[in-house]
Amino acid sequence: MRGFELVHPASLGEAIKLLDTDDPTVRPFSGGTALMLMMKAGVFQPSRLVDLGGIEPEHAAVEATGDGGLKLGAMATLAQVERSADVMRVAPVIPRAMKRLANVRVRNVARIGGNLAHGDPHMDLPPVLSSLGGEVAVTGPAGERRIAIESLFSGYYETVLSQGELIRQVILPPQRGWASAYMKCTTRSADDWPALGVAVSLKLTDGAVQDSRIMVSAATEKLTRLAAAEAALEGAQPGEAAFARAADAAATEAETIDDARGSAEYKTELLRVYVKRALAEAVRNGAVQ
Amino acid sequence: MDDTSRQIRFTLNGRPVTARVESHLDLVDLLRRFDLFGARESCGQGLCGCCTVLVDGVAVSGCLTLAQLVDGRSVTTVESLDEGGALSPVQQAFIDEGAFQCGFCTPGFVMMTHELLKENPDPDEAAIRDYLAGNLCRCAAYPEIIRAVQTAATRMKTAQAA
Repeated sequence: MRGFELVHPASLGEAIKLLDTDDPTVRPFSGGTALMLMMKAGVFQPSRLVDLGGIEPEHAAVEATGDGGLKLGAMATLAQVERSADVMRVAPVIPRAMKRLANVRVRNVARIGGNLAHGDPHMDLPPVLSSLGGEVAVTGPAGERRIAIESLFSGYYETVLSQGELIRQVILPPQRGWASAYMKCTTRSADDWPALGVAVSLKLTDGAVQDSRIMVSAATEKLTRLAAAEAALEGAQPGEAAFARAADAAATEAETIDDARGSAEYKTELLRVYVKRALAEAVRNGAVQ
Repeated sequence: MDDTSRQIRFTLNGRPVTARVESHLDLVDLLRRFDLFGARESCGQGLCGCCTVLVDGVAVSGCLTLAQLVDGRSVTTVESLDEGGALSPVQQAFIDEGAFQCGFCTPGFVMMTHELLKENPDPDEAAIRDYLAGNLCRCAAYPEIIRAVQTAATRMKTAQAA
């Protein structure tokens, strides 16, 4: 690594001012676990890092909302989210996914906002949080806006955030009545980045699928919502036949990509299998009360 | 590049210290300047746990921590564990169970085991495997390591009860 300027703003406004430049080598630094890898590998050489540690307390709260949703401050660590009783009650799929997300030390340090803003398609939380209907509140020089997490990513390691914008909070809508699951497949070693991640969320009414959100990550260039798979489920009785139809639709619509973890064809077959498994798992997990 | 170094103050194993550190220095390299070699860089990616240290009481990978960011904080390394003159119960259990061959990963495993037993004094094998999933032992002493954690847990509970 080479030297850079490391600055320590005391407020969100000050951080945004320090980031508001056309220079792409000026970046925010929250937990830093992902950025440090890029810096050590020489893939990214910052001229200035804006340390967000000083604005942490105000933006690290994790709490249930009165309507049965959740608000996660962007500076909350993954460990904090994993251990929150509110998160366990409202969205138990999140702590379940955390068990196999990196390791204890990384979860102690990595922040939920940075995890999303990094734009890495192999991360576990973008599919999970988007399957729950999550949005991010983003603050920048031009003010605040809301972005659905399913629309946050524009490409491989690319987001729709502009330079100077920071994710301030993750907002999850009420989860009552929704059953969710996340499954990933690691093809090289158990702790490798996934070849495939599938997150599903189902709303069951009177024994039929009233609504669903099905997300794929890692096997595709960016997080992708599988609309045809969702359409195949609409109104169906949950069970093997409906899940197989949704899995076939998913395999047809997803644009999987080749990489060291498997060919596109292989990942398409993984997707077919894992969509079925994840849907069955969501039903087994049951709806949030 | 201009000089990016900066004077920092922090608490190292209970003692206040100062150091002049460059922006890109990581915590493992900073500790070496204090002749502390227990935290080692192995994978350099936060995967293997060899560089485990505590910052303000929280286990982190030293290799992913910028040294300047420990300014004002408290850093605890494996070297603190026997400061009273005796090995910690976890260190002793690792020796008694032969939970290493080359020993390179051992400080990280010992530090993480202390954290695990602080959070969960009576972990079952699945909990031990989950918690230590981010520590790699290339000699594959895993069965002995799990036994060492169980032995340390038992002895610490007995000591607590006494």
